[in-house]
Amino acid sequence: MSDLIRHFDSARDIIAAAELVRERALARELRPSQVIEILERWGESLHGPELDAIPGVPFLKLWLRRGTLESIVLRELGADGLRGEWREEGSTRLRAFPLGVVGHWPAGNIEIQPLLSMTCALLGGNGCLVRIPSGLLAQTQALIEKLGTVPDGRVLLERLCLASFAHDRSELQSAMAAAVDGAMIWGGAEAVMQIRALPFPSWARIAVFGPRLSVAAMDGGSWSRAAERKSWCQRLARDVWQFDQQACSSPQALFLERCDAGDLAEFATALAAAFRAENQLHPRQTMHPALASAICLSRATWLLEDSTRRALFPATPDWTLLLGTGAAIPAPTQGRTLSVLLVDDLLEPIARFDGTVQTLGLAVSDAAKEAALVDAAGRNGVDRIVKLGRMHVFGSPWDGTDLIRPMVRLVRHVPANAD
Amino acid sequence: MSALAAEVEEEIDALLSAPTFSLAPEEHHARLLSVLKSELSYAAQRDARLRQYLEAWPIDYRAAERIADLPYLPVGAFKANPPLALVDGANVIHTLASSATTGQTPSRVALDTPTSRRMVKGVVAIASDFIGHTRRPYLVIDTAETLAAHGTVGARAAAIQGLRPFATEMVCCLDGDGSGQLRINEQRLSDFVAKWRDQEVLGYGFTYVIWQHFVAPLRARGVSLGMPKVRLLHSGGWKRLQDQAVTREAFASGVAQVFGCAAGRVLDFYGMVENVGIIYPDCEYGHKHVPAFGEVLVRDPLTLRPVREGQQGLVQVCSALPTSFPGFLVLTDDIAEVIGYDGCACGRRGISFRFVKRVPQAEVRGCGNIDTKRQRPSAVPA
Repeated sequence: MSDLIRHFDSARDIIAAAELVRERALARELRPSQVIEILERWGESLHGPELDAIPGVPFLKLWLRRGTLESIVLRELGADGLRGEWREEGSTRLRAFPLGVVGHWPAGNIEIQPLLSMTCALLGGNGCLVRIPSGLLAQTQALIEKLGTVPDGRVLLERLCLASFAHDRSELQSAMAAAVDGAMIWGGAEAVMQIRALPFPSWARIAVFGPRLSVAAMDGGSWSRAAERKSWCQRLARDVWQFDQQACSSPQALFLERCDAGDLAEFATALAAAFRAENQLHPRQTMHPALASAICLSRATWLLEDSTRRALFPATPDWTLLLGTGAAIPAPTQGRTLSVLLVDDLLEPIARFDGTVQTLGLAVSDAAKEAALVDAAGRNGVDRIVKLGRMHVFGSPWDGTDLIRPMVRLVRHVPANAD
Repeated sequence: MSALAAEVEEEIDALLSAPTFSLAPEEHHARLLSVLKSELSYAAQRDARLRQYLEAWPIDYRAAERIADLPYLPVGAFKANPPLALVDGANVIHTLASSATTGQTPSRVALDTPTSRRMVKGVVAIASDFIGHTRRPYLVIDTAETLAAHGTVGARAAAIQGLRPFATEMVCCLDGDGSGQLRINEQRLSDFVAKWRDQEVLGYGFTYVIWQHFVAPLRARGVSLGMPKVRLLHSGGWKRLQDQAVTREAFASGVAQVFGCAAGRVLDFYGMVENVGIIYPDCEYGHKHVPAFGEVLVRDPLTLRPVREGQQGLVQVCSALPTSFPGFLVLTDDIAEVIGYDGCACGRRGISFRFVKRVPQAEVRGCGNIDTKRQRPSAVPA
């Protein structure tokens, strides 16, 4: 199969490519239900050693299932929207139409993010211009090739342009921005600020996802009981390992509510065992020297700043547990470095959240307490509150925003014969 | 607080007095390991935070059989304020600060008299092996003001002072113009050249200072000083010159042209304030070596284990010299390649390595790369 990611070197070529996918998308209407059928076939085709080795592919397959996508479309656009039909609303009618071309700027740290982002806009009937970060070219190519092998996969490929160009080619970034009708922007603070400053058309709809960070929290009943401890620790380890703790949904800190029955040393030992086991299952293959350096520094500064603190880590940079007290979220190190902090009440750290926290992973044994924590977290800017172990399960809404609806226009028709 | 045991001081002094580059690797390792373990015990007694760090280390340093297993501090730990010190403030005679660029926090290390004395001896022992023992006129390619700072001593001043024991007289040939710009003091330079033109002369400056403020202006005027017996040492790193696309070869050639000497008389050395007392000049084969009182490990970033010959990794420097600050084992932010673990053709024993570069900035860390607090302007702009 030919190279499905196109390298761009001129602004004119990017604008022409955007125009082409816009024409194709608007020329042939695709109902969300039709898109879902093709995406489901694509998801089923994603197997084999090369694809299995790409981080996040199990999530992508789960995402591409009919059950997942249909429920999201139903929630955001309704049953009529799923079928691409008008919805009666009193004496008027409503229907979703595509914006045209949606530009996607995914973050460079999540292998499947270009494709997740793209599917959201495709479900709205749009064409897509997706900038693939340089570090994700091979993985994206391997995954998108499979779309061309499934029945009607080419129908979707025709309305896609996967673009590659250096991130510092500002004239190409500007051309891409100027050529789109909507944008889905993902990434760290610096990247998001740079992309938002590009010359988008006045009509462009812009949805920003990130930068955020995430934390976990456990009440005394959950972390102190030996019978449940191992299971919770395994769940937390999985959340930390996925995407190498670099995603906005990755837990950077764990708050533990003090309780008389809780022994922090015992819990830390169990958590270390879970981290060790997860590392055996998913060892790193490479490591940026700056990250290794940052991990070593986080271990040292944590212990040197306060002699009451503790830490658990191996001689390798594989994982690190920084143990202490306090309701503030420490500066994240990433690289599978988790701060574990004792607090008197889980409401203390939540009261300090200021909108930075995207996901709160919870292990709470008391339903009334959970309800109180959820309300407080929602008030303090948290957009997702999920059970520990499910912090990365991608779904709508994400970052407090629908995924499909922002990239469609809801057209209202008031019939001429209406009263 | 406990004092350093006399026998440990003796062991350190014995390493300082040992043949600098000719101990057999096994003997070198055994003697240094013993001293480093004693120094770690001493540090643990002096500072509860360090004790905490050492106790958290996955390998008990008291039982360690390899220097590679001993707990090391990352170089960033030396940016702490107040500086990590193992002596009371009253005993600190100097605080050395690294040359941080604008906006960065410098590393700082506290020196007491015994540590300072060892630092001088260490530099002299190493430099002597490369330039000989004789004292000679010393041309400093920097300003006198650089040396005049009180209290905290900068990296440039420390390096200049480190070579002072080789000087019969010292002349600083640059002046500051008050706005941070440096210019050659023509009169001082020409007097020095006229007096010592045909003699053995030592020169030193920071690499970028020599290039930007000495070689470039003199070359532009076609000046050759005619000093064939100069030994020009330089340090401080290549980043600023790399930004100007100046290679090591071009640097040595430019310096040689201005002094009228052979390019082989230009000697680059690697060093840092956290490892003060040890410098790493290039041997005639372009390799760096470690003295009897120090060691260098190059660690694989993936595992933090020492790499094999020919591989690159993070540099860890080890030194028996400091007892006023915990600079025994320091993981730097530099990358080096191990040339060999023994047998350099220059005859110096032990590891030989090549400095490669500073650790590059981490790649984009994605949508989770964020401060823990949302930063907003403190006031609404008018």
